[in-house]
Amino acid sequence: MLLNLIPHLINGLALGLLFALLALGFMLIIGVMEVINLAHGSLFTIGAYVALAVMAPDGGLPYAFMEPYYALPAIPRYLIALVVGPLVAGAVGMGLELCLRRTYGSDPLYGLLLTFGAALVLEELIREIWGSSEYYLPVPQQISGGFIAGNLIYSTYRIYAAVFAAGMIGVLWLFLNKTPYGAVIKAGAHDSEMVRALGYNLTRLRLLVFGFGAALAGIAGVIMAPIWGIRPVVGVDAVIPAFVIIVLGGVGSFWGAVSAGIMVGLVVALTAAFLTDWSLLSMYLLLLAVVTFRSRGLAGKSSVLEA
Amino acid sequence: MSKSTFTRRSFLQTSLLAGTAGGATLFGPWKHTRVHAAASDKPIRIGLTHDASGQFANSGQAERRGTEMAIAEFNEAGGVLGRRIDAVWMDTETNPQTGTRVAERMITRENVHFLVGAIQSGAANAISQVAQKYGCIYFNTNSSSPTEAGKNCHRVKFVWDGNGENFSKAAARNAIQTFGKKWFLIYNDYVWGQNTNEATKKVALNYGAEVVDEVPIPVGTRDWSSVLLRIQQANPDVVAAAVGGDDFKVMRQQVRDMKLDGKPAWINNQQDWPDIYGLGADAAFGVFGTTWYHYLDLPGVSDFVKRYQERYPTTRINVPGNVTYNGYVAMRELLRVVAEVGSTDNIKIIKALEGRVMKAADRMQHHDAVIDADSHHVQQTIYLAQGNPKPKDDTDYFQILSSSDPDSIRADAGKECKLETYADTPNYDQG
Repeated sequence: MLLNLIPHLINGLALGLLFALLALGFMLIIGVMEVINLAHGSLFTIGAYVALAVMAPDGGLPYAFMEPYYALPAIPRYLIALVVGPLVAGAVGMGLELCLRRTYGSDPLYGLLLTFGAALVLEELIREIWGSSEYYLPVPQQISGGFIAGNLIYSTYRIYAAVFAAGMIGVLWLFLNKTPYGAVIKAGAHDSEMVRALGYNLTRLRLLVFGFGAALAGIAGVIMAPIWGIRPVVGVDAVIPAFVIIVLGGVGSFWGAVSAGIMVGLVVALTAAFLTDWSLLSMYLLLLAVVTFRSRGLAGKSSVLEA
Repeated sequence: MSKSTFTRRSFLQTSLLAGTAGGATLFGPWKHTRVHAAASDKPIRIGLTHDASGQFANSGQAERRGTEMAIAEFNEAGGVLGRRIDAVWMDTETNPQTGTRVAERMITRENVHFLVGAIQSGAANAISQVAQKYGCIYFNTNSSSPTEAGKNCHRVKFVWDGNGENFSKAAARNAIQTFGKKWFLIYNDYVWGQNTNEATKKVALNYGAEVVDEVPIPVGTRDWSSVLLRIQQANPDVVAAAVGGDDFKVMRQQVRDMKLDGKPAWINNQQDWPDIYGLGADAAFGVFGTTWYHYLDLPGVSDFVKRYQERYPTTRINVPGNVTYNGYVAMRELLRVVAEVGSTDNIKIIKALEGRVMKAADRMQHHDAVIDADSHHVQQTIYLAQGNPKPKDDTDYFQILSSSDPDSIRADAGKECKLETYADTPNYDQG
């Protein structure tokens, strides 16, 4: 029985790291801006579609014009997708922040409604550009297919994606804790008015943080696309777990988000294996159980972005 | 100067008479109030209930192309009964609640003569309940739960796709003989998946299979890795999947990633063309059923494909598949029957449809089809197919393995159908 459990635990851990990656951009924006960005899923989707355009000849770019580019091997195109997808998502996120400015200082519901509206608009824009058909992001052969471990076959890409997610989590932690830029962002999350009083341009800081959070959503979109597929509504599949993870981990807590992501991954993987019809519900039950006893979430006591 | 005979008394008498007659028509029993003046030259309005969002958005738009193509062809030939045919479309969002709302609105506010369209069985069932309440004929074009023409059948509803039981019967015996008896069943946990799985299980057990496990999968599942690991641990000969729409696409991708598309063998109840188009022949993994394929070597097929391509030159799916085909032939048959009956009266049309035989050559299939009078299910040819190892072009994904005649794969679910009587079905004619 225990031996049977091990592959599911490893699978849950891999899934959890991906969930954590998904939630980090969301966490950053809530932490600094105090805005629940319901368009996070749409930014995730934009990352995935841009990666598709960069990777696949039928991905939306004019083939005749791009033909020499598509002759490049898959690895450089994939590396370009990993950069361009988040950049475009980040740019769209910055545009969204410009629209959000008028809601600062007002009822938080305005920001919520605006980002919800933006999510609908972005989804329709995606539908206009790419249609409602399903796409899959092709990935280099080196990270696709499966490998054999004992009696089981497991997806190579999932291992790659989990390692990538762990790496991104580490890089983000280093950025927030070991660089002056990270220090300003964290300070902005603690007390934005004090940051402004110290001479930092708070308006620009918010713009950059929103763009950075959106870019993280875009990266998650590129990484998750080969697993979840690409369609206009895929963002809904992303934003709900991200929201659950942030509340579960404690709003604004870096390690809270990471540990909540891993917990959600493990719970979802184990229920999917052994109580399959409960698998979609399990993350909400976990949330319910945690917030019943700890309303601030797992690490909510720490101040925002405390590492 | 002639003397007028129009006195105050006669005016009052006439008004009273007209008022009584009009009132009797408009305020009589509800089931008769939707009968309007017949033989008008106003357009025949058809309510299209196709999904454009949700799990089956892509398939919904594919069947819409089929129904609208049939309408356009009739209009180009002068309409029906000398009347133009208008289509009114609303997005049913792959959602039963929306299906109910759309059907109500189509009937009570848009005054449609007929309702056509469905992919998801839950939505189809919801639409048909509203349609039966008013007596509006409803064509379920593409939803294939056995219950649609079984326990959820209605006098006004006609079901055009093969159902899960038809497909299971076509595939099961062959799969047991070829691949083995140890079966693992997975299914989407809603009406189509549950009922199709029940039918598959029954058929498989009848042919001597052993069901090692049976897993319901919530609709909207994006991560299949846990279920796939569980399948590997059970080591079955066959996985029979009743999974549809976006869930199926995600599952198929993850099955391929884990290299499970070779062993065990996969019996996928049905693979709709829009779910695999654009992904290449490799996407058509396992053995599966379909009602039609654009490379069937039959008269009329290539002409149909050509007409589709001329009508939809820019659509991404540039050859019609089973979903578009079902929409097209259903709409075409409806309009033909209206022309034959010479009226849009629901009861007359229902009677003309019941037991109607449709020639194989006309339907571009291998066997004649018939609308079962007791269940309103179109009994038709079911093809068994797999991915094509030698495609002749980049749309040739399927290799057709066999065709089953309707009698050999007739579903037992139809026996559970108890149609409302004609008397219990409101008369409905929008004039």
